[in-house]
This record gives sequence, structure tokens and C-alpha cells, in this order.
Amino acid sequence: MKKMFKLFTNILLVSTFAVGCSSSTTTPASNPEPASSQPAATVPSGETVTLKFFHRWPKDPDKSYFDQVVKEFEQANPGIKIETEAVLNDSYKEKIRVLLGTNNPPDVFTSWSGEFAYKFVRGDKVLDLTPHLQKDQAWANQFVQTQFPPFTLDGKIYGAPMTLDGKTFFYNKEIFKQLNLEVPKTWPEFIQTLQKIKDSGITPIAFGNKAPWAVSHYIGTFNQRMVDQETRMKDYTRATGTFEDPGYVEALRKLNELSPYFNKDVNALEHQFARQTFIDGKAAIGYFQKAEIGLIEPNIKFEIGFIDFPQIDGAKGNPTYLTGAPEGWMISSLTKHPEEALKFVKFLTSKEMGEKYVKNVGKLSAIQGTVHANTATPTQIEAVDRVMKAEGFSLWLDTDMDIKIVDAYLAGAQQMLAGQKTPEEVIADVQKAAAQVRTEAK
Amino acid sequence: MIHRRITPYLYLAPCFLMVLVFIYIPLIQNLESSLFQWNTFSPQKTFVGLAQYVQLFQDPIFYIALRNNLYYAIISMIIQVGGGLVIAAILEDKLFRRVSPIFRTVFFLPVVISITVICLLFDFVYHPHVGLLNGFLSMIGLEEWGRAWVGDSATAIFAAIAVSQWQSTGYIMMLFIVAIQKIPGELYEAAEIDGANKLKTFFHVTVPQVKEMLFVTSIITLSGAFTVFNEVYILTGGGPGHASHVLGTYLYHSAFSRDNMGYASTIATVILIITLTISLIQMKLSKTGKE
Repeated sequence: MKKMFKLFTNILLVSTFAVGCSSSTTTPASNPEPASSQPAATVPSGETVTLKFFHRWPKDPDKSYFDQVVKEFEQANPGIKIETEAVLNDSYKEKIRVLLGTNNPPDVFTSWSGEFAYKFVRGDKVLDLTPHLQKDQAWANQFVQTQFPPFTLDGKIYGAPMTLDGKTFFYNKEIFKQLNLEVPKTWPEFIQTLQKIKDSGITPIAFGNKAPWAVSHYIGTFNQRMVDQETRMKDYTRATGTFEDPGYVEALRKLNELSPYFNKDVNALEHQFARQTFIDGKAAIGYFQKAEIGLIEPNIKFEIGFIDFPQIDGAKGNPTYLTGAPEGWMISSLTKHPEEALKFVKFLTSKEMGEKYVKNVGKLSAIQGTVHANTATPTQIEAVDRVMKAEGFSLWLDTDMDIKIVDAYLAGAQQMLAGQKTPEEVIADVQKAAAQVRTEAK
Repeated sequence: MIHRRITPYLYLAPCFLMVLVFIYIPLIQNLESSLFQWNTFSPQKTFVGLAQYVQLFQDPIFYIALRNNLYYAIISMIIQVGGGLVIAAILEDKLFRRVSPIFRTVFFLPVVISITVICLLFDFVYHPHVGLLNGFLSMIGLEEWGRAWVGDSATAIFAAIAVSQWQSTGYIMMLFIVAIQKIPGELYEAAEIDGANKLKTFFHVTVPQVKEMLFVTSIITLSGAFTVFNEVYILTGGGPGHASHVLGTYLYHSAFSRDNMGYASTIATVILIITLTISLIQMKLSKTGKE
């Protein structure tokens, strides 16, 4: 019995330890600096201001980058202490909503753009950055300017963009060479190419949709292509969305045409697994974010190229648009130390930190001139060129419209990919959700 | 005299206060918030009366969730309570006395492992391409039985249920072992003298003698089946589509993904009514509390 007890306690210990290692980590701020010779201008010497900083990257390399930034900031500003907390993606979406509802929200936090951000703005939870950007033109001008609109509501800017991103088909140049394939430009060519890859026994497109945000990126792109811009913007707005344009059904049909070329069991695989399949050379194409280059490139033995999203005949949307949205920093409207928080956000979005971000994390920064030969690989530089060339962006679908419509879309798309729902049925659900959202928005 | 009358209540007071503050007040608050439509940072709550209850009873996902909870309940009753009792009886049999401590430990082990860890482990078991389960099936030549267990709407909920069975059967078994050990040995001796075989002894001695425990375990299992959350949330997240939602995950989904706190409170109230009814019925049927 004693032995058994010992065994149990051991297992308990091990299991609690393992739980402790899971995604949510709280990093206490590094030790406060001793009184330095240069006290920060905004803080009377001797007093320490503590800022709560909440971001969504508890994994490396992002985590150590942010830890480093916090450390450097604290060294430069001895009066300010930063308490960092980080939670992974989907949990972050849930937790930030709850935290912002309390009276004690984080001072500085990251947010996606579009409806995800607007919701906080409507709830009066976010500090308006417009006056600060106007006051500090140098700071405002260093951003890639196309990245501001997704954070703008009613002419006011609520977020400082940090990342630059866009979705593109990545392809394995080696497989394309072996099979003697050309880079497809139009939709029929694309389908033909996929068929040829499939015939050769290689998975044409790696796709993991267990967490269904992955399919939202496809739908977002197809919607943008199939529906004209004005109608789409009207539908994505809460008070006016009806989703009655036939282009929405057509968009899902186009997605369904790709279904036979995905790997098997898309709904059971994580996106990370799909990425790994591509990295291992087992799939010829993947639909990835530019930010993922840094995760893919160091691990592959072949060269990657980009395929522009194929042109679809009769599509009404602008074909030079890119699907993608920046993530950025927001300051809580309830913060007790707006000046210090602003200082920290400026530090986070400084060119120096942007360059470090590109170099150490391998993602693209929304600060101009941060991606160059010293910080990035040629592939990443090419990627940035493509993002800069885009005439506009359609944001990530799952952060661009009301969450209830997103839910109808994502759950419906999972069922559609499993062959249990037709595009018409999915859109019918979406229209129903949109009707509900319309009444709520009034 | 007054002193005498008050003192016992003073002793009860802290406990009563705790229960009041942590159970009954939130319960009433939950009832109240189910009458409003609101989310965590909406400026005001909108009173909608019983509209959300009406909406809930017309919501197809609610019925999917309820059906999945029923599957959970039925399967758990058969495997955990039924299976647990059989295993306990076997382990307590004279033949197995020497090895039973080992088996007891082995069967009980999953109970002390965190459910999060278990679910992450089972994620690997169920993985369609590199998972143990599909690997095992193809090893014994049943490749065509392999499927994307958690990614297939037909199997997702059963994959989650299976994990629960794996984890909790040992716990129920332990409770039965305790109950069986309390049965006087004479009863078994008498049965043996009367010529009863093992099966008859089980049905005519063991089962009636552990009746009380049988009711306790079935309350635990049934109310557990209607409040289940972890396994489903971690393994499938309610997907694909909404195929594997149970009431608990649907509540969470409504509250934190769809920002609909009022609707979530409505679901919570329905869960409360269901579990309350179950335990009331069971208490009535079994007249527990006599022992």
C-alpha cells in the first residue's frame, strides 16, 4: 500500500508538472533595475509603474523575442516594470475578450484587426491612438501605411500594426520540376496542375482544418474574388450583412473543387501537421501565411516558390488583392498609465525592434525597411515585395466579421469538406446568422 | 436556553455561508442572467425574458449536444458502472486474491493522471496518419476500419467517450471493491454450500449486497455524463462542424467564442435542471441515505 501511495504521488507530481508546461505561461518581469543615472522623463524618480502586457506567443522563437524586448525596455526605462503574460492563439481570443470585460484589463495587448478589434472599440475598451500618431509623425510614418485601415473605425486609429502578412500558395519547386509542371495562372490551369500532381501519387495540397480558422483563410480569399468589393464590405458590416450575393455560394463551390486535392482527413489534422507534410516534401503545395516562411524555410531541403492566387473567370473582385491582415498593439482605455503604455508600444514598433523581430522570429514586420538582406532571406524579401504590391487586403475572415457569422461559416465549411453539407446549405446558415447579427446591431 | 438553541447554528453558519456564497447565489445569478442578452464588454444588458429559452429549444445544435450527452450517459452506465462492478467482483474473487493488488493499481492509475495529459496522449492515439489506433488496425489487417477518429463527425463523440471510459472505470471499480470487501464472507460460503456457481453468486450475493454503492456510482456517472467538458473540449473542440458538442462545450462555445453570455447561462440552467432531475429520480428510486 505504501508503495502504491508513493507511485501515485509520483504520478501526480509528474502530471501536474506536465500541465504546468502547457501553453499558458506567466513570465514575471525581470528584476527591477537599480536606480539608474537617467530616470525616465515621465516618471518621478523612485516610483515604479507596472504595466501589464498580454500577448499571444507563449512559444519560441516569439516568446524569447518578447522577453528580450521587455528586458531592453526596462533597462532603458528604469521606472517602468512590465508584467508579461502569454496565451496561445485560440485561447487568447477567448481570454482577451473576458479580460477586457473586467475592470482590470492588461495595459498593452495584441489584437487582430478588423471586426475582432472593432468589437473592443465599440465596447469602449481601447485607447484612441489617432492624436498620438498625429503628434508623433515620425512614428506614424514608419509604418507600412496600408496596414492602418484594418485598425481604423470611423476614421480613428485604435491599433499600432506590428506584423505584415498575406496568404499565398507555396509550392515545392523540386516536385514541380520532377513532374515538369509550370506555375499555373488561371483556375483551370491550377486544377489541371493539381490533377497531374495527384496522378503522380503526391498529395497536391497540404491542408489541416481541425482548428477551423484554416479554412476561413480559403473562404476569405474566394469571397474576395467572387464578390465585388462593395457588396462584400456591406455584407461584412454587422448592421447591413445579408450574404445574398450568389458569389458567396460560388466561392464555396470553388473551395469544394479543391477538396479532392487536399490530403485525407482534413478535419482531423492540425494546420501544423499540414505544414510539416509540406516541409517533408510529401505535399506539393500549401496555402500558408508569409509569416510562416521563417518556420518553413530553415527546415526544408528544396526551394519554395509562390503561386499567385489563380485567376478565376468572371470573378468580380480585384485580383491584385491579397488575403491577410496585420496584428498589432492596443492600449486599454482603462489604463492608469497611458503615457508609459504608449512609450512601450512605440518601443515595440521601433525600427530596431522590427528588425530584430524579422531576424529572430522570422516573421515580417509592419515597420518599413525592416526586411532587408541583413535580417531576412531572399524568399522573405520576395514575399514582402508581393505584400507591398497588393492594392488592398481582404482581412482574415475569422476576424473580419461578427463572430456568430464566422461560427456559422467555419462549422459549415468543416461539414462541407466532409461532404455532409452543400455550399447552398452553408450559406443558408450564414444568412440566418447574419439576420440575427443585423437585429443585434440595431 | 437561548444559548443552547443558537450554538449549533453558529457552528453550521460558516459552512452554510460558504455554500450560499459559492453555490446558491451564483445559481440565482445565473438564472437571472439567462433572461438577458449580453456579453462580457457590452455596455448594457438587454432584457429578453424567456426568448433565449425559446431559441434554445429550437436550436438544432442543442439537440445534437443533448443526444451526445445521452450517448455519454448510456455508454458510461454500461462500461463504467457495469464493467466496473464486474472487474471489481473478479478482482475480489478468491482465485485472484494474489494478483489483484497489481491489477487494482493498473486499473486505477488513469484516475490520477490529469485529464489534459490523457487527452493529449489520446490525440496521438487517434491521429489519422501517425496514430497508434490506425497503426494497430493496419497491423492486424483491418486497415479499412481505420479512420480519422476525431475528425469524422460519425466517430468524434465516441472517440471522446472512449477516453472517459478508459479513465473513469478504474475509479468506479475501486468504489465497488470497497463495497464488496464489506460483504460478510459467510454469505459467499453459504452460497457455495448451496451449490451456487460463480455467476449465480455474483447475481444473488454480490449485486444485492452492493446495491447502495450501485446507486451512488450511477449518480456519479450520470451527472458526470451531463456535465462532461474536458475530454470533448480538448479532443475535438465540438467539431467537426458541431457534431461532437456536448452541453458543456456548447455552453463554453456560446459564452467565449460567440460572445453570448446570456445564451450560455440559458444552457447552464438547462444542464442544472437535467442533473437535478436525474439525482432526484435516483434518490427516490433507491431511497439512499438509509445506510
